[in-house]
Amino acid sequence: MSKRILPLVVALTVLVLVPALLQASGSGYLFRVSITAMIFAILAASLNFITGVAGLLSLGHAAFYGIGAYAAALLATQHGVPFLLTIPLAGVAAAIGGVLVALPTMRLVSIYFAVATLGTGEIIHGTLLNWVDFTRGPMGIPAIPSFKVFGLDLSGNLGSYLVVAVVMLASLWVLHRLTHSYYGNALRALREDDQCADSMGIDVVRLKGEVFAIACFFAGVAGALWAHTTGYISPNDFRFGESILVLAMIVVGGLGSLPGAVIGAVLLIVLPEALRPVGDVRMIVVGCVMFFSILLLPKGLFGEVSALNLVRSSFGGGWKAGSARQSIGWR
Amino acid sequence: MFDAFFVQQLVNGFSVGLVYALIAIGFTLIFGVLNVVNFAHGEVYMVGAYAGVVLITAWAPPLIAVVLFVMAVGAVAGFGLERLAFKPFRRFQDEASLKSKAMREATLLSSLAVSIIVREVVEKVFGGAMRPVPFESQLTDPVQIGELSFSTGQFVIFGAAVAMFAGLQFLLYRTRIGLSIRAVANNPLGAKYVGIDTDRTIIATFVVGSVMGAVAGILVALYYGSVFPTMGFAPGVKAFVAMVMGGLSSIPGAVICAIFLGLAEAVATEFLAQGWSEMIAYGFLLLTLIFFPTGLFGGARDRV
Repeated sequence: MSKRILPLVVALTVLVLVPALLQASGSGYLFRVSITAMIFAILAASLNFITGVAGLLSLGHAAFYGIGAYAAALLATQHGVPFLLTIPLAGVAAAIGGVLVALPTMRLVSIYFAVATLGTGEIIHGTLLNWVDFTRGPMGIPAIPSFKVFGLDLSGNLGSYLVVAVVMLASLWVLHRLTHSYYGNALRALREDDQCADSMGIDVVRLKGEVFAIACFFAGVAGALWAHTTGYISPNDFRFGESILVLAMIVVGGLGSLPGAVIGAVLLIVLPEALRPVGDVRMIVVGCVMFFSILLLPKGLFGEVSALNLVRSSFGGGWKAGSARQSIGWR
Repeated sequence: MFDAFFVQQLVNGFSVGLVYALIAIGFTLIFGVLNVVNFAHGEVYMVGAYAGVVLITAWAPPLIAVVLFVMAVGAVAGFGLERLAFKPFRRFQDEASLKSKAMREATLLSSLAVSIIVREVVEKVFGGAMRPVPFESQLTDPVQIGELSFSTGQFVIFGAAVAMFAGLQFLLYRTRIGLSIRAVANNPLGAKYVGIDTDRTIIATFVVGSVMGAVAGILVALYYGSVFPTMGFAPGVKAFVAMVMGGLSSIPGAVICAIFLGLAEAVATEFLAQGWSEMIAYGFLLLTLIFFPTGLFGGARDRV
């Protein structure tokens, strides 16, 4: 029984405790910070799926986040699609983008792949910026409706918080099940040595495409949440700097560790806000935290091994709960 | 057949290509030896430009003094960069870790982190806006040759590119330190066995590469007439594209591809709006990686 307490604790904290505290403080600013932290938690978890678990260093993740945000914003403002539909559609749009990027870059490895993703990220950002007829270019898209469904108004602070929190928990759950299963093991084999994985019968090309599609789907979902909660997006929100910010989150949290990605996201969103009295030092903080964590904590705050142990003992995943000692198999 | 305007565009594109080439030379040198991407190279370029502009604003010395000062700054920057972002990850000297993916990605990320810190600190100190170079120091005096107009900056950049390229070839193939740089680039462990101080050689490579980057920075700043904190990013990425297109460890290949990129961008502005032509380089990057993974001028190499 005790094995199932932690997921419950996490869900209660995110859905009840934190919103209750925020509501008690009555500060819209704190709501805003926590919503941003949760959106970036989805982004970091999805990048962790590509870079941490499957080992494909991506420097263009913000572009897929941007595709999702623009898809949701355009659908909502021009066609009046409700948010229950725009969020999955934005994810699908970003996933299609991800597959289109993954197909040609599939056979590149290590830094060549990283640079190819940087290039595609810049191309997508440039497209959002220059295709003025479609995306309104640098003017951005204003007046994106907030969350409203079936006459239920969720556009307030608490409502938006709860929508984002539910989507985040669902996304993290899906990514958790994918990461901690046979499927995740195949991805880790791909990361350690793709030629060896190939010779063991793992379809490397298909797997890379799927990883990109899945991770970009969640990046698109995060983008849709961002568009709906801020109400205004412009290409500047989806630049190379954002890709680096998300990458820093998973490096700080620990590559390959899902809890680490969430911790990294919360840390790198909350820390610069806490330092706001000192001045706008966001990117300096990000750079310093990233540098020192690579130097001093190469495994990250919550490394992959401890993350796997925690997940196995408390969250189950694809492993048979409680069987860790009796058998070495996964299920 | 070719009107003067088009030729003029080609001339401008050629000088933009030379700018990329100046950066790509240092980039390729460092990549060839360490086999890691130095993401902070664009920031060395930017720091060199700022150092030169600060000196000019304070004393307005002659150009040659500015260049010497910037070279010194570039040397210090290269040395500091190597100590800060690369040395800590060379703790292990065995062959497996020298070639390992983890080490490569650690230095990639650490140089990226250092470049973010440097750029943001410069932005905090000097402000994010464009900072103009004092007018009398700018290299923008027009020179009319027939129907074409050049500026002095284009000749200076051309001269600097030729001098750097020749100097580097001399350094690499005619001096002792060049011999050890080539030895370390070829096989770090073997170089160590025959008594080459690999650590010093790597520092020397960084210093030489960064001096070139910094000089490129100040010359370009004088040619364009302004400096700004993010000036290193786009040319840095394009120099990287040139390096990949040229086959990674081939310096002549990188120079040729850099000039080609500059020309391609200039021609593209004929047909496309400014914003789209910026993306030509990324398109070339993808095409090269997909169809010529070994680069246009590179030899055979391991999987890319």
